[in-house]
Amino acid sequence: MNIVVCLKQVPKKDSILRIAADQKWIDDRDISYEMSEADAYALEEALRQREKHGSGEVIVLALGPERVRQSIKEALAKGADRAIHLHDDIFNSATDAAGVARALAAALKDEKFDLVFTGLQSDDYGFAQVGLILAETLGLSSATIVMEVQPEGDSVRVKRELESGWFQWVKIPMPALLTIQSGINQLRYATLKGIMAAKKKELKEVKAADLGLTAQALQPAQVIEKAYLPIKSKQTEIIAGKPAEAAAKLVEKLKFDARVL
Amino acid sequence: MNIERETLEMDVLLVGAGPANLSCALHLTNLVAQHNEKAKADGGRQLHELNIAVIEKAAEIGAHQLSGAVLDPISLRELLPDFEKDAPFEAPVGDEKVYFLTASGKIPAPILPPPLRNHGNYVISLNKFVRWLGDKCEAAGVNIFPEFPGWEMLYDNNAVIGVRTGDKGIDKNGKPKAVFEPGVDIVAKVTVLGEGVRGSLTKQLLKQLKLDAGKDPQVYSVGVKELWEMPDDRFPAGSIIHTMGWPLDSHTFGGSWVYGMKDRIINIGLAVGLDYRDPKIDPHHEFQKFKTHPLFAELLQGGKMIRYGAKAMPVGGWYTMPKPTHDGVMIIGDSAATLNGERLKGIHTAIKAGMLAAETILEALLADDYSDKILSRYETRLKESYVGKELYQTRNFHQAFDKGRNMGLMIAGISTLTGGRLPTRLPIKAGHEHMQHQQANGADRYADLKYDDKLTFAKLTDVYYSSTAHDEDQPCHLHVLDTNICIDRCTKEFGNPCQHFCPASVYEMVEDKESRKLHINFSNCVHCKTCDIMDPYQIINWVPPEGGGGPNYRNM
Repeated sequence: MNIVVCLKQVPKKDSILRIAADQKWIDDRDISYEMSEADAYALEEALRQREKHGSGEVIVLALGPERVRQSIKEALAKGADRAIHLHDDIFNSATDAAGVARALAAALKDEKFDLVFTGLQSDDYGFAQVGLILAETLGLSSATIVMEVQPEGDSVRVKRELESGWFQWVKIPMPALLTIQSGINQLRYATLKGIMAAKKKELKEVKAADLGLTAQALQPAQVIEKAYLPIKSKQTEIIAGKPAEAAAKLVEKLKFDARVL
Repeated sequence: MNIERETLEMDVLLVGAGPANLSCALHLTNLVAQHNEKAKADGGRQLHELNIAVIEKAAEIGAHQLSGAVLDPISLRELLPDFEKDAPFEAPVGDEKVYFLTASGKIPAPILPPPLRNHGNYVISLNKFVRWLGDKCEAAGVNIFPEFPGWEMLYDNNAVIGVRTGDKGIDKNGKPKAVFEPGVDIVAKVTVLGEGVRGSLTKQLLKQLKLDAGKDPQVYSVGVKELWEMPDDRFPAGSIIHTMGWPLDSHTFGGSWVYGMKDRIINIGLAVGLDYRDPKIDPHHEFQKFKTHPLFAELLQGGKMIRYGAKAMPVGGWYTMPKPTHDGVMIIGDSAATLNGERLKGIHTAIKAGMLAAETILEALLADDYSDKILSRYETRLKESYVGKELYQTRNFHQAFDKGRNMGLMIAGISTLTGGRLPTRLPIKAGHEHMQHQQANGADRYADLKYDDKLTFAKLTDVYYSSTAHDEDQPCHLHVLDTNICIDRCTKEFGNPCQHFCPASVYEMVEDKESRKLHINFSNCVHCKTCDIMDPYQIINWVPPEGGGGPNYRNM
């Protein structure tokens, strides 16, 4: 059983966020990063499936700058067998889900795998689209919001989370892509021996040119116009006059301005 | 609970990834490489490639590093002669000012006092600096393990043979969770404790081996600081201000700093001596009050507070330094009180201490003897070095303030003129022993202090800006050995000063109709160690929480 896990690195949850000067995204100068939570569960699920199956490998795939190596190393320390890091300034052009999925798909073209896991959605943009577009691009069957994974021969049974406490079991043929929901399992800790062993594992750095990709090919179809903090819109108005008149005015305002009556 | 533990063998184990240990690890790899090169040429004995491990409780290297800081580059220049090429420094020190503050005015120092002269030094972020050193160590092959605190010392008879790391995955009731991962016994030929101030393993070791016998008790200060982002260049990078006086009372040691950093960041903080008398003193509140001084209210006008942190520092110096070595173990840096309390600088001394420890470890490796016979050469080296010299010259500095500020300034002045010589050795007692019983109707020190969320901030607001996080489902890491004292004696005698001295609102006395009890919000803890130091009954024992917990002092 070979499983590919796509990892994204995102700002740490307790980060103090500030909007960047260009108002397009956050100021990343003093931010610490970590593996996106759902991706950490996806990795854990892959490791557990491999352990249950007794053979095969877990391959980590991540796109991003130098700092992403820290999360890749963490994945290798926890037990992934090898990693592919898409690391090149050209990949910076992939700023939307479709661009990222195109790059990941190109990197998986020559890989042999039974399953691809991604997190359900990332903790920063939260698009929840990279996994699905990747599945479509590679021609894989897919299932989202996965809470349980049971491979059975050539197919895989998965439990999907629906609304209001409902679940659904579906069976899809492998190879398949599953987007994993946080909380599907309990995350293990990296051990000292795991961290030592990770140093000897393969961490392949891949450039855009190696995949035949150009900045042009990764152009986003969707761009962020503006990032801003929610604007507080509390307004206080004091209605003057005699109580009876003021009350009548208040009812009028509630009816026609606030439209709550 | 019978736990099967793994053992990991290392040549050298260093506990704590701060300036002392990272300098030690880096210097040792350099020394071994130099030795082997020479041995190859002379046909001498080469050492095998060393296995060096640095364990660190923080989630990433540097996350728990907090200091002013102004760095004297004297030792860094020895460790990395071309550091200026890529060291992530803010700026060389430029304009320097020193003031004695009164409530509304400022008296400039007539001359820049020699210990506060910083020409040739650099304003740095200790977090950035330590991350940079950590990268150099990793590139040199040193194994750095973040998220692994040292839990207890491992002994063979009385010789230290290593350290057990903390267990992971224990729930709040002390039961192992499904993902429980037991701590590992890391055994090493030499274990180096560079844990920083009031290290939890250092505390165990000093007690076990009585390495502080015959020394003065250590005295501490706690530094509380914020970073501010400014809209303009009103305080250029490299500018520095130091103050003494207001708002601290004359029985409270301390002073402030304001340093200009890159990108229009102002770094402002206040150090408060942890040997004050009034149990109501709250270092965080003193700092908030300090910022309302016209000088700083104006300086910070229009800026935005972006980070907060607090950390204790050992200021006792020469007479408080423990014997730093024993069979198989060395203590370096702040853990061994190498900070110069007069200059309020400990980074350059920690770096030098690390380098001297590395030189001693090389000798031990060559002799294949890790007993105190060889390791004790470190203490001689340190005392004969320029670090020893500056610590000896300032040996009476903090002791002079034992009787209050006015006497202290006078004695310290004499001591500076005489190179540290005084007619008699000054007595000193532990900081918490200075705390006096509360006055029955003592005035509220902070009655005038208002939090406007622009210039001044409530403690909990500030804690948010320290980016502190701990897994809530773990045992409390602040062990109060007898909570009966809290609700009875301490309430009467001191009014539960833990609520005041903790700069992170960890301790809270909670009252309902029937009872009054101590509530510990351990997940707020910024690992400053003030409680372990200043608790008047010495019943608080700080132990490391699960690895990875604590503040994140990014760029502080």
